[in-house]
Amino acid sequence: MTNPSDVQQFELCCAIVNFGTGSKVIHIAKENGITGGTILLGKGTAHSYLLKLLDLAEVRKEIVLMIGPKPATEKTVQVLCQRLQFQKPNHGIAFTMPLSGVFGSRNGYCDNLSESRGVQNTMYKAIFTVVDKGKAEILIEAANKAGARGATIINARGAGSHEYQKLFAMDIEPEKEIVLILAETSAAEPIVNAIRTEMNIDEPGNGILFITDVDQAHGLRR
Amino acid sequence: MNVLIEKFKEVLYAVLPVTFIVLVLNFTIVPLETHLLLRFLIGALWIIFGLSIFLFGVDIGISPIGNLMGGYLTKTNKVWFVGIAGLILGFFISVAEPDLHILAAQVAFVTSGAISKTSIVVVVSIGIAALLALGLFRIVYNKPLHKLLTVLYLVIFGLALFTSPEFLAVSFDASGATTGAMTVPFILALALGVSSLKKGGKASEEDSFGLVAIASSGAILAVIIMSIISKSDKISGSLQATVSESTSIIGPFFYKLPSMAGEVFLALLPLLVIFLVFNSVSFKLRHRQFVRIMKGLVYTFIGLVLFLTGVNAGFMDVGTTVGYILASTGQPWIVILIGFILGLVVILAEPAVYVLTNQIENVTSGYVKRTAVILFLSIGVGMAVALSMLRITVPAIQLWHYLLPGYLISIIMMYYVPPLFVGIAFDSGGVASGPMTATFVLAFAQGAAEAIEGANVLVDGFGVIAMVAMTPLIALQILGIIFKYKSTKGGLEVND
Repeated sequence: MTNPSDVQQFELCCAIVNFGTGSKVIHIAKENGITGGTILLGKGTAHSYLLKLLDLAEVRKEIVLMIGPKPATEKTVQVLCQRLQFQKPNHGIAFTMPLSGVFGSRNGYCDNLSESRGVQNTMYKAIFTVVDKGKAEILIEAANKAGARGATIINARGAGSHEYQKLFAMDIEPEKEIVLILAETSAAEPIVNAIRTEMNIDEPGNGILFITDVDQAHGLRR
Repeated sequence: MNVLIEKFKEVLYAVLPVTFIVLVLNFTIVPLETHLLLRFLIGALWIIFGLSIFLFGVDIGISPIGNLMGGYLTKTNKVWFVGIAGLILGFFISVAEPDLHILAAQVAFVTSGAISKTSIVVVVSIGIAALLALGLFRIVYNKPLHKLLTVLYLVIFGLALFTSPEFLAVSFDASGATTGAMTVPFILALALGVSSLKKGGKASEEDSFGLVAIASSGAILAVIIMSIISKSDKISGSLQATVSESTSIIGPFFYKLPSMAGEVFLALLPLLVIFLVFNSVSFKLRHRQFVRIMKGLVYTFIGLVLFLTGVNAGFMDVGTTVGYILASTGQPWIVILIGFILGLVVILAEPAVYVLTNQIENVTSGYVKRTAVILFLSIGVGMAVALSMLRITVPAIQLWHYLLPGYLISIIMMYYVPPLFVGIAFDSGGVASGPMTATFVLAFAQGAAEAIEGANVLVDGFGVIAMVAMTPLIALQILGIIFKYKSTKGGLEVND
């Protein structure tokens, strides 16, 4: 086992930006010591009365996932905020999450699984909910009523243990939606409860919800 | 608000190039009359607004319906249901397509009524319906696209031996005409709806494309078979390329508006009815989703009416005039060169191009960039128009001199290109030949034919759309080969 002091702390740095900006985010991250990133497409919601009326409130977003040692991710997030002006509304958000294990990264590896890290009281939580396709909207409505300030939807595919199917000659995996909501720790509790009651999530087959700590978050609407 | 501004900007970049080129031509070699120029500029404005609204409508109206339908058909897990639904969808969508009616009227005219307009519309629609169902079967039974397309095109060329060159042109034009601004987004979304259920990203990605290609080959087959059966292979009659006499600037817009509104409404009607029926039987959408799709259909309607009115009232006469004046200069190379440039920029403003590139980006998570696809598409269409102009100026060149080698090359290429790009390329053939090409480029070609001795406006006019539908197959497969060799480590298809 490596000496714990040699082990770097790794973090997942996640940026949610407008469509087309993802490659730029990775570019900036590379300048700041992160070796690579993964881009997924998602949908975000815009806040505008007019757009809601016209039903055009959905915007294409890119979600960039990057893993790197803590100093690099911290610096990346700072630089991203400056360069892409996250302090302005609708310019994007960035946050970092602590990781307990990383393998396969060029920077080395870390394995904190066995040690309990004294995480300082984090200000934000990231709430992930995986639901059947089409239900994300209901979920977000409920979350917004409970104080959430926005959400990002990622299209996904997957099957629970009882859902596997074959139609014609094709193997089917049902379509899912992952909803990512960032919230202040104090607001997280009511939001989670609202989602649980609205979606009946404690019943099997209605989706899963998990919450992770967020170290830093930038660009959220206050 | 910035969603609206973004979309508006996107469309602006699409429409400005063609506007700019025409303005440059106006101040250099082709001085246009003032009322034509003003009408053109107003038309460009209508097109910009129309296209923006239309694209929103497709996003929240047409595409969701296609997706829902595709998913629902597959989930029934009944072969007969998928087959019948494919037939019904294919038939009613193409029967309502305005471009098909224009084409059918022309064919009825040149055959002196031997083939009636109604029979052409019905036969082509049956062809599309049958092949749409076949295309759906292909996706659900995991049959490779390139093999099916090879078989289809071999059959087409086998039958083509028995048809006259003129009818060959008509039949290939039919494939472009039936895949209009409304049909393409819907069929694309339908394919996505079925294939996105598939397990494993690669298969699901590849099968999102190719359905448009298969469906449009149905139109070719139908027309060829009909001309063989009815034994009418002579094209007679002639058409005058006309520029409307009126010098009114706004007049043509209001004159065209009601007829365009009628056409678009007719084209939208089957989709609306099918959606309402399916919604009450099976989708049972929540109220908000239902309202959103309905709003989407309204946007589609408004946007397409504005767009088509702008094109028909503002662009068509300018196209004819520019073609006529250029060809009258007696320098063939000018027509060919300007044809190439117009082809390059016109395709940017084609509505379905946006829908296709959007879907490509979504399906490949941005791996295949929109700009790359548009660049190659644009060069392809430029070549198509230039080659068509060459054909008009040199009477010895016949359409099949282009089509036969062109399709042979694209069929051979399919076996070396990553499957994803085969689908994209063959779909983009149908996408490129939309309303913008069918009016502006066609008018340009007809104007040129009018001025050139020995060129027949009608006969030479047929075949331009066929070319625009063919060259993208090669252009985008070249892009596919570049992707295959450039991506040293990649997500898609490198080791195939």
